[in-house]
Amino acid sequence: MTIRQCALDCEAFAQLKHIYENREEIPAKMRADGVKVIGKLGCDVPDELIIAGGMLPVQIYADPEKELKETNVYLEYAFDPMVRAQFEKIVDGTYAGQIDALAISNSTDVLIRIYLYLRELHRVEPDKAIPEVEFIDWLFTRKPMHEARNELIAKIFWETAERWAGRNITEGEFFEAAKLCNDNKAALRRMQALRCEGRISGCEALVIIGAGFFMEKAAHTELVNTVADAAAQWPVIDAPKVFFTGSNQEDTSLYEMIENAGLLIASEDHDWGARVYDRDVNLDFTPVRGLADCYMLREFSGKKAFVSQRVAALNREVTQTGAEGVIFYTNQYEEAASWDYPSQKESLEAAGRRTFGLFKMLWPCDRNEGLADAFAGLAKSMKGGTD
Amino acid sequence: MAEEKVSKSAAVKKLQATAEASAYQKAWFADLKKRVEAGEDFAYLNADVPLEVLRAMDIPFVVNQWWAAICGAKRMTRKYFGLLRDAGYRDDLCSYCATAFAESLDPDDHKIDPETGKELGPWGGLPTPTIAITRLTCDCQSKIFELFAKNHGADFYVIENTIARKAPLNWFELDEDRWEELYDEDRLDAAVWELKELIKFLEHKTGKTFDMNKFKEVMELINEQEGWYKKLRDLIAECHPVPVTVVDTINAVMQAQWQRGTRWAADHARRLYEEVKALVDKGEAAVPNEKYRLMWLGRGIWTDFAFYQRFEQKYGAVFIWTMYLAMGADAYIRNHVEKDPLRALAARYIGMEDFLHMPPWNSQWYIQQAKQNDIDGVVYMVPENCMQAVEGSYFIKKALEEKGYPVLIFKADPVDERKWNAETMGGLVDKFIETRVIPNKDSKEKEK
Repeated sequence: MTIRQCALDCEAFAQLKHIYENREEIPAKMRADGVKVIGKLGCDVPDELIIAGGMLPVQIYADPEKELKETNVYLEYAFDPMVRAQFEKIVDGTYAGQIDALAISNSTDVLIRIYLYLRELHRVEPDKAIPEVEFIDWLFTRKPMHEARNELIAKIFWETAERWAGRNITEGEFFEAAKLCNDNKAALRRMQALRCEGRISGCEALVIIGAGFFMEKAAHTELVNTVADAAAQWPVIDAPKVFFTGSNQEDTSLYEMIENAGLLIASEDHDWGARVYDRDVNLDFTPVRGLADCYMLREFSGKKAFVSQRVAALNREVTQTGAEGVIFYTNQYEEAASWDYPSQKESLEAAGRRTFGLFKMLWPCDRNEGLADAFAGLAKSMKGGTD
Repeated sequence: MAEEKVSKSAAVKKLQATAEASAYQKAWFADLKKRVEAGEDFAYLNADVPLEVLRAMDIPFVVNQWWAAICGAKRMTRKYFGLLRDAGYRDDLCSYCATAFAESLDPDDHKIDPETGKELGPWGGLPTPTIAITRLTCDCQSKIFELFAKNHGADFYVIENTIARKAPLNWFELDEDRWEELYDEDRLDAAVWELKELIKFLEHKTGKTFDMNKFKEVMELINEQEGWYKKLRDLIAECHPVPVTVVDTINAVMQAQWQRGTRWAADHARRLYEEVKALVDKGEAAVPNEKYRLMWLGRGIWTDFAFYQRFEQKYGAVFIWTMYLAMGADAYIRNHVEKDPLRALAARYIGMEDFLHMPPWNSQWYIQQAKQNDIDGVVYMVPENCMQAVEGSYFIKKALEEKGYPVLIFKADPVDERKWNAETMGGLVDKFIETRVIPNKDSKEKEK
């Protein structure tokens, strides 16, 4: 199943797939034309402000083939493997040639450490080719003071974006950019509805969503809408629907393994999937209020939420998706979600849903022996056979 | 078994103040249990929670890290982590923070062994808390605390954490008086707001009232206590050989630190200083053949305190420094409390994470401390399963070694004896002393 011929035959999807597979192409071209490119690490960096400053936000991603020569010097073993590989590209000079600055949000404890380490590297090894780094320190608990503080955090990042842009960012520019981002999320939500109907596979969705990290928002929105128009006529995939929770999937390899086993990933809660289009900036609010509202009140993430919040969040998401089962999958050293799992499992199974947990997984996924067979067993059992 | 030969009981402690602290903790804990049994609210706190508020409100509490250390020293970890596994949790994560949660799964925690008549839980088990408070300084910690609270039927409360934008290298020169200069103003504002919210929560939950005068008194007692630690740290630093080692100071200080804000703790700190000063005046040495002065970075090895002493006879290598005394000396004192007591407390508690776990603040302090204490080598334990303790070991090692202090980094766990092998770890330290510390000191001596 994975990426089907009907998708490949769609010109808009083919364009998105090309961008997804050639992630440096558009940013390099735009940079050559004088547009500043801002790297993002973490899922809570506001695109709206970067775009309002006339810059292009791009997501930092890992290269699984790259030897971790630099990372092994600087990072302790407790950092998860994908973050380690992302860090390698930041400190070995790869990104210095691709981005003008790097914004890191405190979306996980690990990323806070990465920010501190990069800041310290700038201080103690200033000759290293590492982009300028800015940190965005949102508070994720939902108390009145945190709302006020998050507005301050938005203001601080606004000033940074202005410095990077080399000019003031007006409220008008902000609202224009926020509308672009909201329209993009709306298009992706159209696509998500088709996923839930079984017309778009998980792999296809990852491509559609992920391409947006490496191109202009308006162009992405147009392509997503065009794909959604076409996908409404694509055949419905006849496979048990599952929800994927856990580690970020920066490429389609794991989803391919799962969907080739005969399952359909109807949604997910990681940062390279459905979380991208979770909540709009409210255009009726002041800009900083709108940003604080959007980034503070998105669905509870696996990293920055309590167990009870995660149980409720997953129940909500799985119900909305109509998934029959949930795959929990976390990479080695990505530990936080492990504490949620027993309670989530209990709650989901009480509601009659299948759960399948895989933890301490090696990255990339093809390093795990027997994984494809495990998914095949799950698919068989969900289809009524025995696993 | 080699490990049994160097079990906890083999650690030789010499100070009366250390024994006194242990005895006090036991009596205090017994009294606490009585108060809880009588129906008082009881709070379980993470170490970086501003416990001063609870002290001022006379709400009994236990600190997570101290309790985990007790459980580790009582060798409960193997049992507890088995209980976690049985309940569907990973048994190889977050040992420091998950110990009490694991204990809450133990049906025998408050029972007596019918055959031996001994209590099955450590010190008879943790009384049932009604409040659990942590800070959001780690992705896992709040989840574990919430699970712990749920198991006990306690109210769960969290305090946010913010990351410093300002990072002056000399925090230890600024924190006592110039904290407005040390921190970003908005971080202090947010922390004060958090304290006010915490007070509201505690008043509502317990029916007790926060009294600002009592709170000031608590803050002044802490300044008094930590002032004695500063004098003690300075005294030990200037003594060659040292009068006491970390085996005494860790226990004497850590136990009393969790009693900070009480008259007993301030008086104990004074007695500790006076006892050590008397040893110095008599010319007594902890290890008369002291040749090499070692610094221990990281949490204490609670399951094997004798480890710190096993290099004394063989090499004259003495562990003289840990953060436990030095943090008391440098990180807690806040002068001029009366100007704004809550802001003074905010300036204490938000710094704990920064000072210990954030480069460059930790590395610069370690350099200053290595210099003051005339350190010859640094042994640095990095826990394998704790992101909170991931604190820039590369930068710490680099900073210290550039200043001429050899550093050994090794992986271990402070409370999980399953991951501890004294022979292997001892071998690493032996090799480090032989190949790095001794030659380094020899070459420094020649240079002199």
